[in-house]
Amino acid sequence: MLRPAPRRTHRIGRGRQTAAAYALLAPSLVGVLGFLLAPVVIVLVLSLFDWKLLSTPEFIGLANYRKLFTDSDVWHSLLVTLYYVIICVPGTTILSLLLALLVDRKLRGMKYFRALLVIPWMATPVALGLVWSWIFDPGRGALNQFLGLFGVDGPAWLSSPVLAMPSVAAVHIWQFAGYNMLFFLAGLQNIPPSLREASSLDGASPVAHFFSITLPLLRPTMLFVLITNVIGSFQAFDTIFVMTEGGPGDSTEVTTYLIYDEAFKKFDFGYASTISVLLFAVVLIATISQFVYFERRTTYEVSG
Amino acid sequence: MSLSRRTFLIGAGSVLALAGCGSSNDKASSGGGKVELVYRLWDEQQEVGYKAVFAEFTKQNPDITVRMEVLPWDQYWTKLTTELASGKAPDVFWLTVDYFPDFAGKGVLAPLDDLISKAGLKLDAYNPNVVQSYKFEDKQLGMPKDMGIVGLLYNKDLFKKAGVTMPAELTWAPDGSGSFLEIARKLTVGTKQWGFCSWNHNQTQWLNWIASNGGHAMDKPYGTFDFAGQKSVEALQFARDLIFKWKVSPDGTRTNPPTGQATEMFYRGEVAMFPANNALLPFALPEVKFPIGVAAMPAGPAGRTVVINGLAETMFAKTKHPEEAGKLVAFLGTEKAQRLMGDAGYIIPALTDAGAGYQTFWQKKGIDVQPFLDSAAGSTVNLPIADGWTSKSTEINKAANDLFLDKTPVQDIAAAMDKIGNDR
Repeated sequence: MLRPAPRRTHRIGRGRQTAAAYALLAPSLVGVLGFLLAPVVIVLVLSLFDWKLLSTPEFIGLANYRKLFTDSDVWHSLLVTLYYVIICVPGTTILSLLLALLVDRKLRGMKYFRALLVIPWMATPVALGLVWSWIFDPGRGALNQFLGLFGVDGPAWLSSPVLAMPSVAAVHIWQFAGYNMLFFLAGLQNIPPSLREASSLDGASPVAHFFSITLPLLRPTMLFVLITNVIGSFQAFDTIFVMTEGGPGDSTEVTTYLIYDEAFKKFDFGYASTISVLLFAVVLIATISQFVYFERRTTYEVSG
Repeated sequence: MSLSRRTFLIGAGSVLALAGCGSSNDKASSGGGKVELVYRLWDEQQEVGYKAVFAEFTKQNPDITVRMEVLPWDQYWTKLTTELASGKAPDVFWLTVDYFPDFAGKGVLAPLDDLISKAGLKLDAYNPNVVQSYKFEDKQLGMPKDMGIVGLLYNKDLFKKAGVTMPAELTWAPDGSGSFLEIARKLTVGTKQWGFCSWNHNQTQWLNWIASNGGHAMDKPYGTFDFAGQKSVEALQFARDLIFKWKVSPDGTRTNPPTGQATEMFYRGEVAMFPANNALLPFALPEVKFPIGVAAMPAGPAGRTVVINGLAETMFAKTKHPEEAGKLVAFLGTEKAQRLMGDAGYIIPALTDAGAGYQTFWQKKGIDVQPFLDSAAGSTVNLPIADGWTSKSTEINKAANDLFLDKTPVQDIAAAMDKIGNDR
């Protein structure tokens, strides 16, 4: 980082300074307004309309919301989403933490190994979904071929109402574990080595050290990983879209898929917007409650 | 947090940018008196056939060329609907009976009656069901393209192995009597090989059982659904009985859309008899390692009635080149164009007398498609249509998944399907 410039601000007019600040902010402001805030506002407005894409939009007030509260598909999709979140968030978090502990050592070639773990996150989700649906294919898929070597007759992973969700969630965990590992790794490397030395002098076992020292100090990282993961899992769409299209039946029909279905299969953009508003509210509540929970329990820095 | 938010923004931005680049006919140039029309379809097999058709068209109309855009099925409808709504769409494109109701009343399809009569074509020369399917408020909005006819594909190897020959006529009845079930049982071996595949596909499966049992899915186009009527329920129960009572078919956990693999099971040789639209043949042939036979669908207590799902060539009402696009649509309806597609084995032309070449083509491939042609000439029934049909049919098909699982009584499922269909 450069050192801050000497204070000479009183020479420049306030207005010019503000203008300069806005000029510098403008590129990202355009992004935030155009691609983040505007769509939210548009969706809020659309949720009050009956708009079947080819029909003329018609203002219907809260009728879409009334439909929403009696629509069992919507509530079912929220439960399905919750199920997905409940598998994915702990799965991704624990796996990425374990991976971070595993790769947090200086060995030859370790950086290549770390990079390898992050690759799934960098790949296109649609391509991933396609490859995984081949792997899960009951007849010729790699997974069942492999199980076949041991005489196990593998199930139809993606067309079984019981197995489809865990299978899809497993792909999500696999996809994001390496990426989240990076944050834990950074967190681990911020913990002063002196603490380890101190705890081992006091006779703490590695396990005790992990639970009483490492884990509490990782709380800020944990907060970040959990929040981004919860949001990410609530918004998961692409791999599910490619692998199961919400099926079999509606067993993997997460809310994002339902929104897609209403908007792009049934072309009911008004109602799709209404469901989006609901999902927005749910994610907002989930995020705020996580913040509140962690705020009371987080140490951001190791005090000197 | 800031990092991830920025990443998200970049992502969201690029998605929108991509969506913005989506409209396609900006490129349709019209320089120097020459016009390039955009023609949209979803079938990459037929794309090959259309090359010859359009070459012939350009020969007759040297100033007009046609550019084809092939999109996968799902994207086809999303993109087309979005483009129609935004006023920028391909000049000429394919339409199915299913999607017709949602487009017909919206002013996006050009009426074709004038250009049909101007070109000297007669609508009564085409299959009447296909013509009727694309009529809206007495206007013809679609040029009949082909007839998608349901017939029974069968695996000749499995028949030979079981020592069974396909009889000239298959019959079925709700009580399980008839030659169809008898043969299906002989072809079923444990849980690895099935005589038949009863799965949730309205066009090739349960709508045919309903029709040949003397029932009606719907009393008239845009009318009232009657899945819960006695004849329909018997037929739907038969679809379920094939799995759970007679055990000649895999169940819904393996075949229900969207994850099911019914067609693949036939391709893999795990299913002996598989009803299909004749348009599946060009796709099936390279996939299978066995000779395919074709039979007519089993005749029910009310005789044989099969679903016909003919496609239409439709013209965008706001095309920039109405005259040229009109010429193209008219040409696609001519015997010349329909024969080019039929003779190359892609489709059975909607033009009633143009099917001979189709038969010859498949004969050379060792497949006798006469049962498809006979079925088309016999009793056929249209797919049901209603207002808001794309939305309703999605829901009805979803509800019908339960027919192929042994939980909810058929009567209740049928009632639920009626409720979706008749809901205004």
